[in-house]
Amino acid sequence: MLTGTVAIWLRDMLILRRSIYSELVAVVAYPLTIYLAFGIGMQGYIGLVDGAPYSLFIAPGLITMTAVNAAYNESVWSLWFHRRVQFTIESYRVTPISVSEIVIAKILTGFTHGIIKGCAVGLVIFAITPFRFPLEHLLQYLLFLIPGSALFSCAGIISGTVMDKPETIGKVEAVLVMPLIFMSGLFFPLSSYPPSVIPWVRALPTTALFEGARRALVTGELAAFPVLQVSLSALVAFVAAVFIFRRKMAE
Amino acid sequence: MTLPSIVTRSLTKSYGALTALDSFDLSVEQGTIFGLLGPNGAGKTTLIRILTTLMNQSSGSVTIEGLDTLSSGRAIRCMIGVVSQENSLDRYLTARENLELHARLHGMEKRQYKGRIDDLLELMGLAGRQTDFPDTFSGGMQRRLVIARALVHQPRVLFLDEPTTGLDPQSRRAVWEYVRSLAGSMTIFLTTHYLEEAEQLCDRIAIMDHGRLIASGSTQELKDRLSGATVYEIEFAEGEGERYAVLLGAMSCSRNISRLGNKVTVTLEHWECVSEIVTALHGAAIRRISLKERTLEDVFISLTGEKVRE
Repeated sequence: MLTGTVAIWLRDMLILRRSIYSELVAVVAYPLTIYLAFGIGMQGYIGLVDGAPYSLFIAPGLITMTAVNAAYNESVWSLWFHRRVQFTIESYRVTPISVSEIVIAKILTGFTHGIIKGCAVGLVIFAITPFRFPLEHLLQYLLFLIPGSALFSCAGIISGTVMDKPETIGKVEAVLVMPLIFMSGLFFPLSSYPPSVIPWVRALPTTALFEGARRALVTGELAAFPVLQVSLSALVAFVAAVFIFRRKMAE
Repeated sequence: MTLPSIVTRSLTKSYGALTALDSFDLSVEQGTIFGLLGPNGAGKTTLIRILTTLMNQSSGSVTIEGLDTLSSGRAIRCMIGVVSQENSLDRYLTARENLELHARLHGMEKRQYKGRIDDLLELMGLAGRQTDFPDTFSGGMQRRLVIARALVHQPRVLFLDEPTTGLDPQSRRAVWEYVRSLAGSMTIFLTTHYLEEAEQLCDRIAIMDHGRLIASGSTQELKDRLSGATVYEIEFAEGEGERYAVLLGAMSCSRNISRLGNKVTVTLEHWECVSEIVTALHGAAIRRISLKERTLEDVFISLTGEKVRE
């Protein structure tokens, strides 16, 4: 049933394999720069955050941010490019595979990019910075990273489906995606918000993702509600992505 | 008598108030090359998108090889090959990988598609470039690769949507040769803006405009249908053109007359008028007299008008 999904995903992985080194250099450079600039550079001014040095506070968030950004970017640009520039989506559609198989393949590709690039950044941060975490915490952390990457991959698919102009994609990223990531406790604790705002911020799936992932990686704590919140959001986004893509293709 | 491969019945497609296809009836026989002509916005693309199951009609029915497009889309896509207007090649895959991906999307296994792809690359003259990326190919080579891709799974019906647009004359003729070589083994449905292409390749031609079928038949049938009128071009000796143009224009069987220097072009009601003309021109200093053949373009323009479409 998923012949088409597998074929397209394998195609995408072949392309990733061919460009893996240049991709990783580009992907690692951004969070590493932030880590060095804020984590190391500002550490002396900021001191401890939630009882931890600032560099350690932001490290898990940077790994998570890399993964979800990679998932979103791969999905949105890949889908837009294949739909509007290369017209390969059209060439897939005149074969016996279904529209759902195409969109699932693209979600899977975004997700895979997220996981691979998140892990790469994690390894680099682990290797060249003092940030350390017990390896047994990795499983709890992945329980956030996997649905988180899936959520952003689906969000990317929705953007890449409904937006026909590349500049619109850039604007959405600047106005919606990055603020959602940055305001979810990546660089500062939620306690910094006015008390009246905190419940709203906590309701965001990105907050559940970044907060939950940090706790899971640093302390090994696995809170069920944030995991459920991220997973359910990913599921809803998946259904929405498939529905929206199918509708767009039927136009 | 061969069975119809493509049949549309009262096919209608509307986009809000705009009717792109209006009760369109068509029948294409198996194993033939069928050409669809029409000015921009005539509804050709909409029709081909419905025939290839990319789009659903508003009403009416379509069958491909006896299968309904609405209920048997997947089965139809198993047996059609599509060469779209855009090359739609994957520029990040080599020529061979493009064909392999297409084969896998058709559920073919490696042992099934390996030899087939070798043969197609050879046939299309691309075997030596199979590990190169399509971006490095000329327009003609890219087009041949798209055609090869559409043939990997051995379709029974091949749709070619403006297959030679943008190609130089040599590449265009090369594509024609490939298409001709396929004739008989599958039904070929071709849309084109090049009337010469339709004339060269197609067994039957349909002309559509404003979403409606306005004429169909062989090239000769369409030319014959244009009218019974025949057009002669007569070249007179120096200074004689004007006098004879007036004389011919006054004749009852002359429908239309034009003159350029000593050359007079006269359209006659029917070929029987020729003897009257010969009589009228008795003694005239004629350098040359020739029958002007009606072209498919004349038919096309007469049916769709000369006005440029948006």
